[in-house]
Amino acid sequence: MSLGPEEQRTLASVLDTILPPSKQGQRAGAGGLGLVNHIQEVLAESPIMQPIIASGLAAAQAAARRRGAGDFETLPQDARQRILEEISAEQPDLLPSLTFHGYVGYYQHPDVIQTLGLEPRPPHPKGYEIEESDLSLLDPVRARPKLYRE
Amino acid sequence: MSEEPVDVLIIGAGAAGAAMAWSLAETRMKIVCLEQGDWMDPDDYPTTRAGWEMERFGRFGFSPNGRGRETDYPINDSSSPIQISNFNGVGGSTILYAAHFPRFRPGDFKIRTLDDVADDWPIDYDTLAPYYDQNAIMMGVAGLAGDPAYPDKDVPLPPVPLGKLGETIGRGFNQLGWHWWPSDSAIATREYQGRAACINLGPCIMGCAQGAKASTDVTYWPVAVRAGVELRTRSRVREITLGEDGLANGVVYYDADGLEHRQEAAIVILACNGIGTPRLLLNSANKDFPDGLANRSGLVGKNLMFHPYGMVTGVFDERLEGYKGPTGCCIMSQEFYETDPARDFVRGYSFEILRGMGPVSTALWGMSTGHLPWGVDHHAAYDEIWDKTAGMVVICEDLPEERNCVSLDPDLVDSDGIPAPKVDYRLSDNSLAMLEHGVARGREGLVASGSIFTTAEAPLPPAGWHLMGTTRMGRDPKASVVNEWGRCHDVKNLFIIDGSIFVTAAAVNPTNTIQALTLYIADQIKKNLTNLFE
Ligand SMILES: Cc1cc2nc3c(=O)[nH]c(=O)nc-3n(C[C@H](O)[C@H](O)[C@H](O)COP(=O)(O)OP(=O)(O)OC[C@H]3O[C@@H](n4cnc5c(N)ncnc54)[C@H](O)[C@@H]3O)c2cc1C
Repeated sequence: MSLGPEEQRTLASVLDTILPPSKQGQRAGAGGLGLVNHIQEVLAESPIMQPIIASGLAAAQAAARRRGAGDFETLPQDARQRILEEISAEQPDLLPSLTFHGYVGYYQHPDVIQTLGLEPRPPHPKGYEIEESDLSLLDPVRARPKLYRE
Repeated sequence: MSEEPVDVLIIGAGAAGAAMAWSLAETRMKIVCLEQGDWMDPDDYPTTRAGWEMERFGRFGFSPNGRGRETDYPINDSSSPIQISNFNGVGGSTILYAAHFPRFRPGDFKIRTLDDVADDWPIDYDTLAPYYDQNAIMMGVAGLAGDPAYPDKDVPLPPVPLGKLGETIGRGFNQLGWHWWPSDSAIATREYQGRAACINLGPCIMGCAQGAKASTDVTYWPVAVRAGVELRTRSRVREITLGEDGLANGVVYYDADGLEHRQEAAIVILACNGIGTPRLLLNSANKDFPDGLANRSGLVGKNLMFHPYGMVTGVFDERLEGYKGPTGCCIMSQEFYETDPARDFVRGYSFEILRGMGPVSTALWGMSTGHLPWGVDHHAAYDEIWDKTAGMVVICEDLPEERNCVSLDPDLVDSDGIPAPKVDYRLSDNSLAMLEHGVARGREGLVASGSIFTTAEAPLPPAGWHLMGTTRMGRDPKASVVNEWGRCHDVKNLFIIDGSIFVTAAAVNPTNTIQALTLYIADQIKKNLTNLFE
């Protein structure tokens, strides 16, 4: 299943609601980072999620329109957040799945990884340096009598 | 299809099978090892790729039931609160293990004498000590001399770095007056015997792309193969067959295409781990052994022991750099190891301090523990936990109980149609009380180290990775399956060398002891070659 343009816009806005830009602005929101593509990949691999997301997006849009908004994405963050909370009674799987896959995509994104003080790369082959250990911390343990039974 | 007969047939190329193959290679006997899995390609390990963190939910998961590899066999563990974790391939479960590599302590071999529970082993620490030393050299063990929790022991490599995380917890334990020590670790902290040095990648439990972790595909196997041992992969053994003389005479196995083969052998050695070994014996029932091969005692599959695990995680108010360094190898504590009559349980537990988590795992941990909201408050909450967690597992000594067992599932089969194992396991009151104590002390230790809050989970569901006791060792054929050097009482050319033969479990990870025991049994086989079957 691939989402239509309107659904993609709503999804981007839902993702931005779950993972909004950070207050100091160093991290972009998940929608702005393009995680719609990540979710579309997940949907392609897990057909079981497709109806959950499709009906969830439709419910969010319908709730926004009931409030007189043109579209979900035109509402401010707090209103969007309230809508997602409200529809979760009827769409119990929407938030858990989008939160899980949203977090996965977000915290793998090179831009986000950089804000965590890490280089955006897999651990291998560069690895990481660790400073010399302070083994004098073991002095009190060394001073203990033998702790085992023969 | 029938293969040329061999002198020695080893089944399983994991921790034990590899050590046995290496040790016997010097005899120049014709040795073949049959392994159902493949050789691993280090370039295929997750840490070489972006997205590595999620692969623990896929092909590099712990459970054979969810990994989707055709080299696995299914295990019905739905009747156990602890699920089986393993790996099937050259290196066996050492491909995924954390390489925390303690020895048993002398008292662990005689808890009946010391504490009036379970049974003593028919061998002792002093007998195994030279084999622990030999194994340390072959695996490349890193550690620090002088630990008061052990008799003197030598290891060839300097310890893994404590890191900021290890030092933080060490300071906290010092405040409480608790024992702690850098973990003995099967990790090359320097270049060692052709292996590259550890570069602190982090998740050793997804396979080590650097080759610094001592999985047996990079330690014993290359040497054994160079010495002439034939390692035949994608060879899944269905049953061990018996000759007219009551001796094992070979096996029937399937290759990758499902073709049936027959391999004859003079000596058969089982190294399929605490689940795979009883499964194979039970699948090898015949007219002389209707309840499973070598099972006149009725104990094949019984007395399954895990180490029930508790997991305590602390969140600190400063960064701990915990994403660096071998995740399961940092420091350990044996402060609560021995029986204390003031407690409501016998025997004890150890702590293994785990390092931190990667970015994705931090988010998912925060989500599952309720510490990470979505929405406007998300980022502030994430910054409170990112790189500020330290984990600690409580490793409890499990006591043998016959009701905890491996049997054959009546319905479930592997891709070759071979009946799969079923695990029935219940935590004893002793284990539950020990877990409760351990989790409470764990929280105390983390708080003393500066943790601002802690979370805990016990028992830890995926912690069925230490598999012991299901063909126990002993001198009495009525009360044990193998004798004091791993030979089946009922079938004199059939040996068992994996954790199945453990009499008791101790409160530390088992692999060093599995391999020391294997090297000891190999020496007994070599010494007794002329009168082996008498
Ligand atoms: C995630 C994880 C973390 C761990 N961490 C630690 C740790 O830090 N420290 C520690 O001491 N231990 C740890 N362990 C446990 C450790 O890996 C095992 O104790 C050890 O590998 C057991 O060795 P073994 O030779 O008995 O069995 P395995 O290493 O499991 O090898 C058995 C082999 O037999 C093969 N086999 C089974 N049945 C058949 C058949 N019918 N035909 C052909 N081949 C067969 C399998 O494919 C497998 O390769 C961990 C395990 C896991 C899964």
